[in-house]
Amino acid sequence: MKRSIRLRVALALAAALAAPAPALAAWTRGFAVEWYEPAMYYGAKSGTTEPGTDCPAGTNPEPDWIKVLIDAGYTREQALWLRNPANPTRSPVHGQNQMAFRGAGRANVYINPTSTPDGGLVGVSGDIGEGLDLDDDPTTGFVSPTGERGIDNAFYRALGCWKTFRGPPRLSSGALSSNDAMRDGAWTMVVVLEGRGQDPMNDDDVTVGFYLSQDKLVKDAAGGVAPDYTFRIKPDRKLEAIFKARSVNGRIVSTRPMDEVWMRDAGMARELQLLKARLDLTLQPDGGLSGYVGGYRPWKPVYDGYVRARGPVIEALTWVRLPDVYYALRRHADYSPTGPNGEKTHISFAYRVSAIPAFVLTPDAKRSARATSYKALARPEDSAPEPSPFNVVDGIVVPKGAKAESLPESALLPPSSTTAAGGAP
Amino acid sequence: MSQRFNRRSLLRGALGGCAVTLGLPALDLFLDGHGQAWADGKRLPVRFGTYFWGLGLTDTPAGGSRWVPTTVGPDYEITPELEPLRPVKDKVSVLSGFRVIGDGRPNLVHWTGHAAILSGVAPAAINRMDGPSFDTRVADAIGGGVRFKVLDASASGKVVSYSTRTGSAFATPDTTPVELYTRLFGPGFQDPNRPDWTPDPSIMLQQSVLSAVTDQRQALLADVGRADRVKLDQYFTSVRELEQQLALGLERPEPCESCAAPPEPEAPKRGASIDVVNSNTRTMAKLLAMALACNQAKVFNFVHTPGASETYIPGESKIYHQITHDEPTDARLGYQIETSRLAGLVMEGLGAFLTELDAIKEGDGTLLDRTLVMAFSDTGYAKIHSIENIPIFLAGGAGGRHRTGQHIAGKGEAVTRVSLTAQQLVGVSVGEFGVGGMRTSRPITELMA
Amino acid sequence: MLKWSGAAGAALAIGALTGAGGFAVHTALAAPTASAAATSGAPMIVAARRLTESQYRRSIAEVFGADVRVDGRFEPELRDEGLLAIGSSQLSITPAGFEQYYRLADSIAAQVVAPERRDRLADCRPGSDAAPDEACARRIIAKVGEQLFRRPLTEAEIAPRLRTAALGAERTGDFYEGVALALKSLLVAPEFLFRLERAEPDPAQPNQYRLDGYSKASRLSFLFWDAPPDADLRRAAETGELHTADGLRRQLTRLVGSPRLRDGARAFFTDMLQLEHFDGLTKDPNAYPKFSQALADSAREQTLRTTIDLLIDKRRDYRELFTSNSTFINRHLAAVYQVPFTSTQEWSPFTFPKEAGRSGILTEVTFLSLFSHPAASSPTRRGVKLHEIFMCEPTPAPPADVDFSKVQALEQGTVRTRLLAHMDNEGCAACHRVSDPAGLALEHFDGIGQRRMFENGQPIDVSAEVNGARFVGAQGLGTYLSTQRKIPACLVRNVYAYGVGKAPDERDEDYLADQTEAFAKDGYRVPEMMARIAESPEFFKVKLPARARPATTVAAAPAGETGGMP
Repeated sequence: MKRSIRLRVALALAAALAAPAPALAAWTRGFAVEWYEPAMYYGAKSGTTEPGTDCPAGTNPEPDWIKVLIDAGYTREQALWLRNPANPTRSPVHGQNQMAFRGAGRANVYINPTSTPDGGLVGVSGDIGEGLDLDDDPTTGFVSPTGERGIDNAFYRALGCWKTFRGPPRLSSGALSSNDAMRDGAWTMVVVLEGRGQDPMNDDDVTVGFYLSQDKLVKDAAGGVAPDYTFRIKPDRKLEAIFKARSVNGRIVSTRPMDEVWMRDAGMARELQLLKARLDLTLQPDGGLSGYVGGYRPWKPVYDGYVRARGPVIEALTWVRLPDVYYALRRHADYSPTGPNGEKTHISFAYRVSAIPAFVLTPDAKRSARATSYKALARPEDSAPEPSPFNVVDGIVVPKGAKAESLPESALLPPSSTTAAGGAP
Repeated sequence: MSQRFNRRSLLRGALGGCAVTLGLPALDLFLDGHGQAWADGKRLPVRFGTYFWGLGLTDTPAGGSRWVPTTVGPDYEITPELEPLRPVKDKVSVLSGFRVIGDGRPNLVHWTGHAAILSGVAPAAINRMDGPSFDTRVADAIGGGVRFKVLDASASGKVVSYSTRTGSAFATPDTTPVELYTRLFGPGFQDPNRPDWTPDPSIMLQQSVLSAVTDQRQALLADVGRADRVKLDQYFTSVRELEQQLALGLERPEPCESCAAPPEPEAPKRGASIDVVNSNTRTMAKLLAMALACNQAKVFNFVHTPGASETYIPGESKIYHQITHDEPTDARLGYQIETSRLAGLVMEGLGAFLTELDAIKEGDGTLLDRTLVMAFSDTGYAKIHSIENIPIFLAGGAGGRHRTGQHIAGKGEAVTRVSLTAQQLVGVSVGEFGVGGMRTSRPITELMA
Repeated sequence: MLKWSGAAGAALAIGALTGAGGFAVHTALAAPTASAAATSGAPMIVAARRLTESQYRRSIAEVFGADVRVDGRFEPELRDEGLLAIGSSQLSITPAGFEQYYRLADSIAAQVVAPERRDRLADCRPGSDAAPDEACARRIIAKVGEQLFRRPLTEAEIAPRLRTAALGAERTGDFYEGVALALKSLLVAPEFLFRLERAEPDPAQPNQYRLDGYSKASRLSFLFWDAPPDADLRRAAETGELHTADGLRRQLTRLVGSPRLRDGARAFFTDMLQLEHFDGLTKDPNAYPKFSQALADSAREQTLRTTIDLLIDKRRDYRELFTSNSTFINRHLAAVYQVPFTSTQEWSPFTFPKEAGRSGILTEVTFLSLFSHPAASSPTRRGVKLHEIFMCEPTPAPPADVDFSKVQALEQGTVRTRLLAHMDNEGCAACHRVSDPAGLALEHFDGIGQRRMFENGQPIDVSAEVNGARFVGAQGLGTYLSTQRKIPACLVRNVYAYGVGKAPDERDEDYLADQTEAFAKDGYRVPEMMARIAESPEFFKVKLPARARPATTVAAAPAGETGGMP
């Protein structure tokens, strides 16, 4: 094709992608996400770890780390020495690197989870769950708290008794820590609702877009996030999720599943791919928007995210043997993108989302944003990965340039370590 | 003739009834530090210190707290985690509800909280501050004229200090009682009660600065009308007061009544368990207090346990930091039991520290009455690294300027208000502190006498 | 007659004094009578106006460079007869205040003699950095002193500083340490800290006095640029040019034509609009969670930018201040005004559409938030301040026995219904009838300036009536105000009083009326009005102060002791 024609075609394509959709929108509304977390129904009546219909034995208890180390081949004496905080193998910030090398032949269990047997992570045994019906089959899945059948959320089934996820809304430790970071400005997700009818409360043709913004959330004096701030959409080549839906009395429900959408994960995985994605959101009297967004997410990146967040730290703080998480996800994975006989690389999942009114603008800040795609406007440098504050290699923190390794004597000799600058650990 | 000035009288022009005012606000915020000195006829300095402990005190997500008193104002009731402060309760003000406003900067866990308190702005990078810590300003303002401009000590055995002038280089503390003793009372100790004292030569230069001003007095007042003469008279009276302060500096100071070089402490046990840390705290507090009483220093920084504190109860295998994160809230009691227990043990360190300062007699009170200690931590509710409701205490009378024994509820205001108040209470010339959303020019006037 | 009512003035003065700390003046040290100066023909000091914080900072920046940090506490200013500029003529310096200036001087002098800045001091270097050098020290002291004192130093003023510099250099072995001490002595001198205005015999009119050239120069530069007189103005003072009509006009043209006019206007409006109230402003976090220091700073900046842009840059009609909806906002303000912030810059021009119901300065966050309660709006406070600030009509304090409980009950009705209870009581109505209507018209905006149409479920009624004139809402109020002659007259009065540092009295009535007339004829353009006032003879007129009587109180005490009156 002649170069000038190619150019013209490229320009036309760019124009078509960049310009608002030809169809006119009669109304748009903007929102900023002020909280989102995996939808994990809490079945106890109080507290955050009590026995309940979801987890009759309560939240999974702390592993007996002495036993874990003995099972991995250390003597009891060595195991006790390793776990004593007075001894230098314990970093107050990074936990204990020795925990990594407890696989067969001193393998690193974080990157080789199958080098250690499946400890059998206790999952949810109840029938009630939150989320969405992803397979249009009311016989598979949970019953929602309001009685809807067919809620597909195998992620919840697998991991719902794990301490980091368990708890009433907004009170699980995992949700607290990641939303705190978001609300302090680590990232921002915005939502654009757009409809062709006259009334957002009732409209057959609604488009919902989830995007990133480079503008930070602003906290207010009462501890919440202040509404009515302006956010520009930050185009991203990957992280964008657009849904077609219908609004009935303010409840906005997907009219069809979207093949593939992406958004910023509210957890360690960082990027979330959802296949066959749907949503179910409700416009609130105070102008906000809340409900569920879900689909089938790849389960391995979930595990990898925890490994990258320093395996020993995750294990110690969330009371889990990380390889068990790998096994549990693998066991409960319920979707294969290549068809019913393919490997089940994905697992059903949903977020609870809450968003407040905001002004969402086009990336150039000139106009109100439409719920259209902005991927074409993304520049390569915009998708730089978020830097990690630590040098994590194979799941543990090691000095820069070093490998993650365990030597035969490492049980008893402290690995070389650096103290932080300034004398402040 | 009495040297006492009554600063609370109204002023009216002495001549002809024209109203000449001094523009003072309803509360006298300009604290003069020498009223007390003149009353006794001695020069008694005000001291300042920071006291840091790691991991805050215990809140609950449901909104309760194990430390915030339920009443506001004087006579607050002692809550469970404040029990160790009971002996000095009337000399300690509790400040709750103050938070860090980060202006979009991320919360660098176990760092942003106290970096913001000390430097006035949420830091951009961990282990760095974006400005000097304000204790350096206090040291510059009041720490001179003695052997050590500032003392830094750490009780947990860790080489940790949060005092910095540049934001990247931090002070090096003494980390054992023996080290601290050697610095203070080893060779080089200047006994203030020794006979061969000489005045500071720079005083005469300062006097020359003022006399160049007062030289003009006659000429100026000759040219002036009635109302303006009263104003200029007041101005020259103010200059004269400063001249008199300087003149005092040329006089030999009064002997330090309580100063007595203490015996060398035993070599300490090594360890980071809470009993060892608290024992070190008490020993080091004794040494610091005596150093202040012997006028070796006026400003100090003390770190009980660092930010992500790894102290632990002897015999247990989990460290405090980990417990704060992984212990669930007890469903019946509503708080984390082990965490709260450790918080109480950590507070015993502060109680012991303040008690040692209070044990030294000075003038008609104690050393603590003439000191201001600002005690604070790196977080509020440590489990979620919260930088809201960071516990802060102001202890000691600051020479009479601090209206002690009150609970102040910050209601989400910036921690810099407390930092500003502390600086003004010890006489630092500062009108505002903090940057951006934490910039404030409003001290907590309820605490200021 | 536009006069700051005497009763209110007294109330203000009493308010300022009540509970204020003070200290006893000892007049034990006798001073010669002023009549000696008057008869000898030497310049007499006719005014002493303490430098404001902003003037102090700008002086340091002008003389030593903008990178010199000024970190310290300044004594509070006094608002008298509506302006801080008038109050500054009554303030002196307390001992604690002097100590602050002393420490500031120390810090500034140390920065200024530091190696990277010392070359700015003068174009000389000492023979040796480690020893005294009188010639170079003299040049530095004379040059810096002239800029700080705003006039050349006399030999009697230079000599003691030279001695200090020499002593310091000798004792410390560092020439620049000595210079720092001398500079410190200049920085704490009354000739710097106070604007001492002097009068000299007028050669053109025997037995009459005129302000000397330097005093005129200072008045001009502080009014137009909020800065000490620059070299050109000082030269015009020195040569006597400022005493001639042409010379004065030349300088005025330069002053008004400069971008620095914005600084002067900012300082003036900061005073007139009482923006210092931002310092203590707090709002209840539950009622107004969007309020923060960042918002307060933004609001203040918005008001100043908008006012200066309208009146100084665009030279529009002053009355448009109350009706023009072209303003500047940033992201925080956009969230409070609930509009999208369509800009990638920090500040962006913005025009409210008519439907927003806003009207100029009355509906900016500044006016609405400064003059309301921590958790509620306040029509009374807004009305009172509107009269006080824009009409020069202060309101007396409420009677001591008033029962506020009716107004405080926030859960019922609207603020309007609660306030109207005042109207039944004649004792209250007298003032509230005047102050409340304007405030009631602004009730569509809450205590931080957000729009709200309902309160406790009831629609808010923003109709109001003043002296038979009815209007609705902020836009109605704005239109009404732009017809009120008092408003431009008040501005004229304020500019004049701000410039001369004194409250006008009955004798100034006619002059101010004439100036207001000229203001009107000229289309109410502010820079031109300022120039007209500064060019008029009244701007520089001198009133000789009453002679000082001989000391009448405690006899002179021996040096080192002081007496006191409790």
